[in-house]
Amino acid sequence: MEKQHWEDFPVGRVDDFGNRLVTEEEIIEFATEFDPQPFHIDKEAAAEHFFGGIIASGWHTGSMLMRMLVDEMLINSTSMGSPGVDELRWKAPVRPGEILSVRSEVISATVHKYKSDRGFTKFSYVVSNEKGKVKLTMTSTILFLKKAVGGSQ
Amino acid sequence: MTTEYFEDIQIGAVREFGSKIVSKKEIIEFATKFDPQSFHIDEVEAADSIYGGIIASGWHTASMTMRMMVDHMVSSRAGLGSPGWNNLRWYKPVRPGDTLRVRSEVINKKRSVSRPTMGTIFGTIQVFNQDAEMVMSFESLGMVLAKTTDE
Repeated sequence: MEKQHWEDFPVGRVDDFGNRLVTEEEIIEFATEFDPQPFHIDKEAAAEHFFGGIIASGWHTGSMLMRMLVDEMLINSTSMGSPGVDELRWKAPVRPGEILSVRSEVISATVHKYKSDRGFTKFSYVVSNEKGKVKLTMTSTILFLKKAVGGSQ
Repeated sequence: MTTEYFEDIQIGAVREFGSKIVSKKEIIEFATKFDPQSFHIDEVEAADSIYGGIIASGWHTASMTMRMMVDHMVSSRAGLGSPGWNNLRWYKPVRPGDTLRVRSEVINKKRSVSRPTMGTIFGTIQVFNQDAEMVMSFESLGMVLAKTTDE
């Protein structure tokens, strides 16, 4: 399959993908390493907390979004990485047993100012669970190579 | 440790903390799970990429930063979680053997109008490597419990 280039992501392109089961084991494993707050790692403490049970670290949810993006869009593209994320919001706690999926929409596409062989694409992402409840929203940019002009690149 | 409430947190307050050595094993392990692009997991392909060697996933750098924040800052605050953050930037690649540290500054604070028993702390989080190069920054938002309902 041919790699997706900058031109393949026009403004308005929408993709729905991902089917990520969140397990309690994984929530605790991630948070033990990166975000060891009681409501992420301790079942008893989490039950008494206002979240009412273990919830995933927000950085874990962001990382799971990243994995779905890599599998669906980036692994077979000319992505050169990302300069950053403009905005991320955690809308609702992510709990064990939920299944996450992504809706991605291209909101802007601009050619690199100095390097005309590449361009920036800004995406808006919405992560929801299996019932359509929104869990996370994010706006971020990816740098893609453009298609070679005249095939001589 | 004294717990910091909304009233205790001063605009302009700076904290510097953390000393996280980044190993190649951890970089590959994290990226294998969450960001399996070749320049994060495959040493041969990474050497040929624009990065010239394996680099950490940006989400890994952010997660390592969170760990330093939890160990040194979050746990001392009467925190109520965070709604998210803004303008995260990755400036330089993080490579195996780098040592990361964090600089946190309080930029602003606002008491909640609808729930005056809490407020939001606006911060800037900057992450540096051992050569004092900034590798990442973002604008943090944190909700913190207040001691009283007025200033």
